Amino acid sequence: MKTLKFTALGLILCFAVTLEAQSVEDIIENYIENIGGQEAWSKITSMKVTGVGKQQGVDYPFVATYMKDGRAIIDVNLQGNSFIVEAFDGENAWNMNFNTQKAEALDSESSINYKNEAKDNLTGAFFNYKAKGYSVELLGKEDWEGTECFKIKLTKTPVLVDGKEEENIDMYFFDTENYIPIAIETVIKSGPAKGATSQTIISDYQEVEGVYVAFSVIEKFNGQIGIEPSFNMVEFNTDVDEGVFNMPEEVIETKKN
Amino acid sequence: MKHLLFIMAMCIGLLPIYTNAQDSKPIIAKDLFGDLSARHIGPALMSGRINDMEVHPTNPRIIYAGTAGGGVWKSNNAGTTFNPIFDDYCQSIGAVEIDPNNPDKVIYVGTGETWTRNSVSVGDGLYKSTDGGTNWKKLGFDKSERIANIIVNPNNSDEVYVAVLGALWSDSDERGVYKSLDAGATWSKVLYVDESTGCADLAMDPNNPDILYASMWEFRRTGWSFNSGGDKSALYKSIDGGKSWNKIHNGFPEGKLGRLAIAVAPSDSNILYTVIEAEKDSKKGLYRSDDAGKSWKQLNNDFGLTVRPFYFSRIVVDPRNPDVVVKGGLSGSISRDGGKTFKGLGRMHADIHDIVFDINDSDRMYVGTDGGVYRSWNGGTTMEIVENLPLSQFYHISVDNEEPYNIYGGLQDNGSWYGPSTSSGGINARDWNSIGGGDGFRVLRHPTKKIIYSEMQGAANVWRYDVENKLIKTVQPLPKKGHAKLRFNWNPPMAVSEHQPDRFYMGSQFLHKSEDMGDTWTIISPDLTTNDKSKQNQEGSGGLSMDNSGAENHTTIFTIAESPFDENVIWVGTDDGNVQVTTNGGKTWTNTIANVSGVPANTWVYHIEASVHDKATAYAVFEGHTTGDMTPYTYKTTDYGKTWTNIISDDVVGFVRNIQEDYVNPDLLYLGTEFGLYITLNGGKSWSKFTKNMPSVAVHFIDLQKRTNDLVMGTHGRGIIIIDDISPLREISPEIMSKKVHFFTSKPTVMKDQSGFSGNFGAETQFVGRNPSKAAQIKYLLPKRHTFGKMTLEIQDMDGKKIASLGPGKSKGINIVNWNYTIKQPKVAKGKTFSFGGFTSPRVKAGIYKAVLTKGKETFEHNFELVYDEHSGLSSQDRELKYDTTMKMYNMTQDLAYLVYELDAVLDVVTNKNKKIVASLNDLKETLVITTGDNYVGSAEPQLREKMADLYSKIANSYDKPSNAELDNLSIIEERFNKAKTDFAKLKKKARLKDFKIKTFEEFLKD
Repeated sequence: MKTLKFTALGLILCFAVTLEAQSVEDIIENYIENIGGQEAWSKITSMKVTGVGKQQGVDYPFVATYMKDGRAIIDVNLQGNSFIVEAFDGENAWNMNFNTQKAEALDSESSINYKNEAKDNLTGAFFNYKAKGYSVELLGKEDWEGTECFKIKLTKTPVLVDGKEEENIDMYFFDTENYIPIAIETVIKSGPAKGATSQTIISDYQEVEGVYVAFSVIEKFNGQIGIEPSFNMVEFNTDVDEGVFNMPEEVIETKKN
Repeated sequence: MKHLLFIMAMCIGLLPIYTNAQDSKPIIAKDLFGDLSARHIGPALMSGRINDMEVHPTNPRIIYAGTAGGGVWKSNNAGTTFNPIFDDYCQSIGAVEIDPNNPDKVIYVGTGETWTRNSVSVGDGLYKSTDGGTNWKKLGFDKSERIANIIVNPNNSDEVYVAVLGALWSDSDERGVYKSLDAGATWSKVLYVDESTGCADLAMDPNNPDILYASMWEFRRTGWSFNSGGDKSALYKSIDGGKSWNKIHNGFPEGKLGRLAIAVAPSDSNILYTVIEAEKDSKKGLYRSDDAGKSWKQLNNDFGLTVRPFYFSRIVVDPRNPDVVVKGGLSGSISRDGGKTFKGLGRMHADIHDIVFDINDSDRMYVGTDGGVYRSWNGGTTMEIVENLPLSQFYHISVDNEEPYNIYGGLQDNGSWYGPSTSSGGINARDWNSIGGGDGFRVLRHPTKKIIYSEMQGAANVWRYDVENKLIKTVQPLPKKGHAKLRFNWNPPMAVSEHQPDRFYMGSQFLHKSEDMGDTWTIISPDLTTNDKSKQNQEGSGGLSMDNSGAENHTTIFTIAESPFDENVIWVGTDDGNVQVTTNGGKTWTNTIANVSGVPANTWVYHIEASVHDKATAYAVFEGHTTGDMTPYTYKTTDYGKTWTNIISDDVVGFVRNIQEDYVNPDLLYLGTEFGLYITLNGGKSWSKFTKNMPSVAVHFIDLQKRTNDLVMGTHGRGIIIIDDISPLREISPEIMSKKVHFFTSKPTVMKDQSGFSGNFGAETQFVGRNPSKAAQIKYLLPKRHTFGKMTLEIQDMDGKKIASLGPGKSKGINIVNWNYTIKQPKVAKGKTFSFGGFTSPRVKAGIYKAVLTKGKETFEHNFELVYDEHSGLSSQDRELKYDTTMKMYNMTQDLAYLVYELDAVLDVVTNKNKKIVASLNDLKETLVITTGDNYVGSAEPQLREKMADLYSKIANSYDKPSNAELDNLSIIEERFNKAKTDFAKLKKKARLKDFKIKTFEEFLKD
């Protein structure tokens, strides 16, 4: 296992940030440059995150693995058993049923939506955003909990909701001091809260092998915190068992029968 | 999890360069609110007034409701439930319009409700979203006050018309019909009559966007009267996109006209309907044109068609059938014969303001009323209410000191209610209790008895309700010999005394005092108003349609405040601008209004707050919107009104309705305005708007619960909104801002044993108000946001042993971290399925604990206390037994987990070597954990793990000490576990393991 290198802040990277540079392209360019740059990130083929999800006083240890091609798996340890809460094999998303602890495919709409966003899993939405067909717009400066931010609207691939395509927007708040996102506002796309806005609060950026990762991501809705994952370790380009992303075959065979 | 982790992957950081230099600027409260957040508790069962309904032109699942005081709500499920989409802006809505050419993205919202009753709020302009409601941009019309319609040309998104009804209480030239040719960027006024006549309704021919119909209405309200109608009211038609307009009155009644509605049948553009308010009653009602307005014929003047035109002038035609016409009204009316005859819509809340038909099926209708949105599946015959619209419109609220405390309040058109601040499973519709009919206003709880005072409009009834014995009587002051006729405001003031619990005050033009809860009344003042007779002719109110509901009663007392220091100091404010004070219990009165500078004469005194910090100090809120003056006014006196100082800064937008003083910090004040809540930390030198889960809603009344320090707001459109425990705001000062971390003081946290059942029935579609947290809360202030590097928060005992690890907040300002006073759940033996009892986290003991915040290399510590809940009645010995037994089982559960781990490890080594031992080990294992089945009905017979964990969970989750039955059960489990350990030791010995290495118990627990 590789060890995280917590280098003193300010020692490694040079900043290309100028406060006058306020076009949306400049902000994103600065952000990418400052988190290690396009080149460093392009060398990363996989990311493994080990952490704990906290919810209502219960800790859920997890290991999440993300591949550059979008494949992903989040494995939660429940009483010594592996419980897959989310997996994607490049085309199909699946997870485990709590009652049977067996894998089940998500509905095809969820798979399509997952696939559309899977390319952001490892590097984030802003990498190659133009090539991905995303658009960005700087809406101006706005305070986020007392911190001055650039408010950037990111429009991603439309999301399918109950058979209908809907616009897929995230509002990013980039700290004007550091040019990094500290919060995201998202309109909830489906379920009973569809149309309401949730907040994601990002912090604890730490250096890992020359690039920077946020180790704390909290989601809030109506002022309340939902699940609260915190990362203990982030590793890149580890040996990954390629088979783990596929839904277990016995289940597929059962379904064929 | 998915979304969070996905975002995690995306959020790759960069390196910071910032210094630790402290900010030397003045403290800006809004930067520091951090985790202080409002929670909404409704109620939604009676909902609130709807102004405008709108359907998506191609997607029948999407419905919008523009509400009178609660913003814009969108349904994505054909009206089953709604969510708010306009919380950051003015919540009084006149019109919502979807661009038919781009309906998923472009939405216009015109603010300012248009059914101009006395209690309407005001708008502040026109807004547009181009991304389906995620972001909004203001398009001007700042002084429009109320917008009646917005219409986008169905063939050209750039062409937009806006009907501005305009100011209700004053002249204004920002009225009439406006047109934009660039999608709202610029506007030209295409129809204008005069400063008192606005556009009340606008319709476009759906087959020819150049043809427009505009109803212009001459109207005016004052604090004491209303006038609808005049020579300027008229119905106009344009056939050239608004360039020119002509009156189309052929067949109209003679004389003055009032408010007119206009509708074009979507399926036949020649068929128009209008409802006319005319001089003669016989000429009022529904008129129809079959030649696109060339001529009109009166069809019907039933009550349902003519009632209160200012409130109900809305006609809607079935999009598929020109002869099906629906009219807003007291009950709403529907005709299926082209307007000749009508029947009432199905039973629902009264006062129907708008109706929309489903785009594909006319049996489906959505109706906006004074009591929310209703759906019909059978053409309006049967109506069902939408249950998740918490739009209740409070005039006043108060709180008691029960545990949990209750909130009392009166609602526009929806009576009076009280409900709890917390309830099992959240605050549900069923938790609310009705305690008064009519329009509800002030509701007060007797300070010591379970008696509630409530009232209806004009003090027609003041109820005294004995809650325990369910006895109701009316106790309003009645006319007395030798006194003038009593004039009560529509929203009459009442007050109770902190000095004499049975004392009860009411205000007419006189101050009435009772010392026996309203049975006997004494008048303790002269007429404290201006007694201006010109403002007392309510019978003449209404204009073309008489409207003497009592809502315009004027020259009355509106607010009463007895000093908490001295029962002889009483303040009275009147709706016609007097601030009166007595310092001798009413023997003499002084009108101090002459000492207030900067407020126009006769401006409504909306609230007086007698200070809890000083006998001579009080705050007076003046409110001039009924004269067209939207300026915020709040003044403070420290010398019984001899001098008054303005405490409003430029930060405050919107007129003020209420102020609440903090009980501890005299510089901390809370201000209820028409556009939300403002807070000052410096006695009013600067104010910050509070926006954390708090809409820009009109805050009519604020109370501060003394025990919990909860700020409770009665809003006029979003029900009761609470900010739990505002005490951290009391400590904010330049000194603490200079610290790297400041922990706020906290009262000991009671580890709640009380619980209950909630049922949850209906929660799928009903609004459920959020409960406050029961957790121990670690509260601290960061002067600057934490962004880079690790930050952790641990709970430790006083010996420094880690008890729990929490996720710390990192916001600039106030951070609140919840700890549910438990340690983490035990490590449970690995089986085939889950042991549900094993997910239980046991509570810690009462005592002092340390919160240890680590930020970079620095640590910061704070001690706090947990105490037991006295409701459970356990002795300290009982608590010890419960704790020891729980932890014994917790440890036993982990010991079993290690035993099974070790057994599995042995199995791994001996497999294929010694079949007999393998079989014995497997036999043993099958008695320890479940090795087959699933977590539902396929579950296997429970084994030792399940029995142990279930008993552990049963004891840990009980409020009580372990029962004898539980202890007996424990001894069986313990015996069985001891035997298992012995059996395993024997098998392990038989296996003769060499170099057998496994994790130690401690390593196993950490893994």
